[in-house]
Amino acid sequence: MISRPISRTKQAALSAFSVLLLLIGYTWISHRQHQVNPEDTTIPSWGQLADGAKKFTQPDRKGKRWLIEDSFATAKRLGAGISLGIIFGFVIGMSMGCIAPLEAFLQPPISLLAKVPQTAALAVYFVFFGTGMEMYVAMIAFGIIPTLAVTVYLAIKDIPSAMIDKAYTLGASHFEVAFEVVFKQVLPKFIDAVRLCIGPAIVFLIAAEMVVGDVGFGYRIRLQFKLTNMNVVYPYLAFLAFFGFLLDYMLRFLQSKICPWYQNDSK
Amino acid sequence: MIEDVEQQSFGLHCEKVSHWFGETKVLFDLNLKVKAGQFVSLIGPSGCGKSTLLRAILGTHPPNEGRILTIQNGQLTQANHPGRDRGIVYQKYSLYPFLTALDNVALGLKLDQTTTFYRLFNWSGWAKKRKSFRDRAAVFLEKVGLGHAMNMYPNQMSGGMQQRVAIAQALIMEPEIILLDEPFGALDEATREELQEMLLRLYQENQEALSQSQKPPYTLIIVTHELNEAIRVGNRLVGLSQYWNWKEAGHDSPPGATIVYDKDAPIFKPDERPNYESFEDIRKEIRRYVYSPDELQSRYEHLKTNLT
Repeated sequence: MISRPISRTKQAALSAFSVLLLLIGYTWISHRQHQVNPEDTTIPSWGQLADGAKKFTQPDRKGKRWLIEDSFATAKRLGAGISLGIIFGFVIGMSMGCIAPLEAFLQPPISLLAKVPQTAALAVYFVFFGTGMEMYVAMIAFGIIPTLAVTVYLAIKDIPSAMIDKAYTLGASHFEVAFEVVFKQVLPKFIDAVRLCIGPAIVFLIAAEMVVGDVGFGYRIRLQFKLTNMNVVYPYLAFLAFFGFLLDYMLRFLQSKICPWYQNDSK
Repeated sequence: MIEDVEQQSFGLHCEKVSHWFGETKVLFDLNLKVKAGQFVSLIGPSGCGKSTLLRAILGTHPPNEGRILTIQNGQLTQANHPGRDRGIVYQKYSLYPFLTALDNVALGLKLDQTTTFYRLFNWSGWAKKRKSFRDRAAVFLEKVGLGHAMNMYPNQMSGGMQQRVAIAQALIMEPEIILLDEPFGALDEATREELQEMLLRLYQENQEALSQSQKPPYTLIIVTHELNEAIRVGNRLVGLSQYWNWKEAGHDSPPGATIVYDKDAPIFKPDERPNYESFEDIRKEIRRYVYSPDELQSRYEHLKTNLT
């Protein structure tokens, strides 16, 4: 019984059924709500959702299409923040894993930083970086650097020393050991860590956008929520989920392409 | 550090090697010379310091006292770091999981003969070299009987196949000496014997080279706890033991293990099934001199010095 595999068709049917169930459930809740109050906007009907879709896909009074504008702004911030976080997280993790003095030097700030809740530290970022692009990038980067660095560091510590010693007997230089043996071994685990960091990074960004943004997903959701335009809020949430899923999928694809040897069971 | 020419025929010199970890004495005044082309079986009771000696020779943990010399760039040099002149085959973690069998074997040539800078900035040159490295790696994989598994990753291979690749990986570097640390310890009996035969084929190549008065290509130190394996594969048996009469030598407390046994072993052809019962006399002798804590021999009683 336990962990016995089922056929592919059964699997697909069950997956489709769960999605269908979600949609039916939503329709029913919304229908009930509208029987109580036909003007309700908290649980919009499918018709109201279509109106909402019009709102964020058609140009508004200033001639701007919300969805495009918000996606662009949020993606830019997220992309820059995650990229910077990836670079620094990786470099710091590699240095900590490979160079003992740096390990001793960097461990306290990294483990301390890892424990600071980024959303609670928002004010600190406003003070240091203002409310522009730099602030978003800094808060995402600082938010994910500790996790990424620690993952790389622990993955390096996991490599049996026999593998390192052997590389030297094969004529490797110190740099080659770091690049050809350590880096290649750590890479898939690092990609896994980046996948896990996307969620928190989006949380940090949306929180910051809700507080100081003038464009972006967080800003739009907060504004439309205040007007109880849930027919905009729900689709936006769905877009965010889809966006996160897409990023995750791309990273997983990348991992399977560049590390075909790595057996990933966290599908 | 050049010694006289006669010394050069020895691939490894251990001179007065002692090692200890705090209060725990492990190795004491150990002397060992290994001639090029020898297959040395290193045996001894568990905890006698075989691995410590192997790590000292490898250079990851140099001895506290004494020195270990190997031939590096044609000169006898102290082995304080692992280097390309000494190959190693471990029992576990022998291969790089991110490389195929072929690339695992070719890795040594790549690391040894090109630099990262070259690989990054001389693409056409690197592509050519890579091809030739892989061709050569394929030859070595054939030699260890894995011509069919070149593109498999280590996690797709059985333990026996992995050890074959690991041996090819060490062989391709043509090191002065290859250290094997219980290489077949985790394998089943049949696979073990196949791999022993493979090593014996290498020994045969050595003898062919010697008969044409060339330098024999392979020198091995194989650590094993299996006496039959030691006798079959090695042409020289070296016993390391903490059980020797150190009181007679004037010590108050055990000074550590040293070599108490050093003898030639019978030589077998690869396809020759040895009669393990005929090993009984040798096994008895080894048990008495090396493994027995009750019968303490004087350390020189059975040690032929400078055996070649």
